[in-house]
Amino acid sequence: MKCGFCGREIPDRPAEDQERCGACPGGCRKVHCPYCGYANPVVPEFLKRFSRRKTDRDHEDEE
Amino acid sequence: MSSVNDHPTGDPKIVLVGNPNVGKSVLFNALTGAYTTVSNYPGTSVEVSRGNCEIRGKRYQVLDTPGMYSLLPITEEERVAREILFTENAHAVIHVIDARNLERMLPMTLQLVEAGLPVILVVNIMDEAERIGMTIDCSLLQEKLGLPVIGAAMARKRGLKEIRDALADFDHRRRALFGYAVDLEQDILKVASTLHGTYPLDRRSLALLLLQKDEEVAEMVRQIEGERFAEVETAVKEVIFERRVDLHLRISLERKRVCKGLLDGVIAQLEGQGVPFSERLSAWTVNPWTGFPILLLVLYFGLYQFVGHFGAGTVVDLLEGKLFEKYLNPWAIALGQHYVPWVWLRELLVGEYGIFTLAVRYAVAIILPIVGTFFFAFSIIEDTGYFPRLAMLVDRIFKKIGLNGRAVIPMVLGFGCDTMATMVTRTLETVRERIIATVLLALAIPCSAQLGVILGLLSEVPGALTVWSLCVALIFLVIGFLAARIVPGERPMFYMEIPPLRLPQPRNVLIKTLTRMQWYFFEIVPLFLLASVLLWAGKLSGALNGLIELLRPAMLAMGLPPDTAAVFVLGFFRRDFGAAGLYDMQSAGTLNGVQLTVAAVTLTLFVPCVAQFLMMKKERGWAASLGIFVFVTSVAFGCGWLLNQGLLWSGVLS
Repeated sequence: MKCGFCGREIPDRPAEDQERCGACPGGCRKVHCPYCGYANPVVPEFLKRFSRRKTDRDHEDEE
Repeated sequence: MSSVNDHPTGDPKIVLVGNPNVGKSVLFNALTGAYTTVSNYPGTSVEVSRGNCEIRGKRYQVLDTPGMYSLLPITEEERVAREILFTENAHAVIHVIDARNLERMLPMTLQLVEAGLPVILVVNIMDEAERIGMTIDCSLLQEKLGLPVIGAAMARKRGLKEIRDALADFDHRRRALFGYAVDLEQDILKVASTLHGTYPLDRRSLALLLLQKDEEVAEMVRQIEGERFAEVETAVKEVIFERRVDLHLRISLERKRVCKGLLDGVIAQLEGQGVPFSERLSAWTVNPWTGFPILLLVLYFGLYQFVGHFGAGTVVDLLEGKLFEKYLNPWAIALGQHYVPWVWLRELLVGEYGIFTLAVRYAVAIILPIVGTFFFAFSIIEDTGYFPRLAMLVDRIFKKIGLNGRAVIPMVLGFGCDTMATMVTRTLETVRERIIATVLLALAIPCSAQLGVILGLLSEVPGALTVWSLCVALIFLVIGFLAARIVPGERPMFYMEIPPLRLPQPRNVLIKTLTRMQWYFFEIVPLFLLASVLLWAGKLSGALNGLIELLRPAMLAMGLPPDTAAVFVLGFFRRDFGAAGLYDMQSAGTLNGVQLTVAAVTLTLFVPCVAQFLMMKKERGWAASLGIFVFVTSVAFGCGWLLNQGLLWSGVLS
């Protein structure tokens, strides 16, 4: 997914060694961008299928 | 670094590199056809694709690397891509860049050339660039760069023949050299002259990476140089000590300057089409004369109208005023009175601080609609790419308060949750910045729900919101200004690449909003329930009354009813819980305009919630966090007292 701040491509799950602030019961649901540090929300499973749908153009440009 | 190749053939290699989503894989597929293999790069979970192609009867092996933004890696994908570049001894490295973002991506071309790699530049997505009126003179760029430059639109196979021809005719012995500022060149020479071993990349590039504290490269140099490494290390340390600036930033800015020169005359906008509106709007957002009015418009419509009026007004009235107050609460209380004979249990479930009557009502009827509308507005703004522009806009002001534009990240996140934002302060470069940002987050950045409730409450009293906004902004600036003069330390510069401004995508906005609401709901419900139980226990044991009595003099000094103390106790559990308590008091008509404004300002500035305090302790240690706690509490009550006196004396809001 894309970081909401710097726009760079980042993993869609938190890294295993990512530190958590611990404020959220049930674990961290943020991906901290490795480039700028911005906290991006992890898309829950039930919303994943919407986020996976992409336009044809996205597919063409995609790596 | 070890050379890793799970397809050992004698064929020359073509390595594709570039940012994510620039069309590398489309080019890879066009070159290689259907027969390719995808495998994890040894020792990692990063996938690398390999295939073969034949050009003019000669066979090549083609490798598609993971996306990378720079030769200085941050992620595992970038590390793998760099290792492939260093170890595969490529016949040609095809750097694929997006024609629409040439200026952002060209600095990596410079890095590849500096490293001594045999680079061919493919300017892809030319069709889209032309559609928005851009023309790119690839011949001129080729002349300036001294390497093959091919314009392409890989999705339409445009430029594929030229790329194949360039690969067949490629002679990488020709190579341009890009000069930086004299002092930087001297530093590069100083470090490069200490390198004597044989390396997979040019010494100039190695020196630049060492000056940017690249640990992997330092380790490689240590192994190759052996005993001579001490000389290298001393040279690097001397340069870093002498310059006393962030060399990574310095080198990035120099590359940017060189790229600007290279692109001079290369990019043009077709006559009649002018600069695209998105680019003009982007420029307006970072220009102080136009940027601040745009910021005010965003705050007025995004926060005041949408969150304050619609979320905290219309929707909360509907849920809290009608659904809970008229139907659900009376029904639950009646059920409790009918079926629960024990007073203590009835109090726990449906009493003044009951789980249903307080915790569930606050969470569902007051906080959820507010954070829902806030996150909707926030996601729209985020998806447009406005936040990095805000960082550029406020950079100058933030420098006056000891921070820079980078601090916009924790500040913006603080409006979502101050606890998480306090942790994010670690991304700031210096300890000084981290301390100042932690203080300002604890003092003057309300979290989304607290902000929403306060906006909703104060918009009912003419002038109250203006007084509140001025007070909080003034405190933010004054305390920041003083902290910048008191807290010692370095003052780093700020530089960042700005992504393109774009229309928000409805799907993105919806997903981000729902994701954040789910996260928030999961976070608040258990804590609200816990707070409700603690308050119930406090009420039964008399501890709550004791605490309220303790705060009574402070409340009276600020001209507030003594009961307001309960709001501050709630606020320590969670800021939004306290704000919701204020909402209850206002609904009951116990506060006049002056009292409401004083309470709202004091509660906004008041001590951080328990979770934020614990995070402060974790990040800054006991001494600093307790110091911040005492300081913030004193400032909050001091400001409340002053504001009350000022408002009573002037008659404003009376």
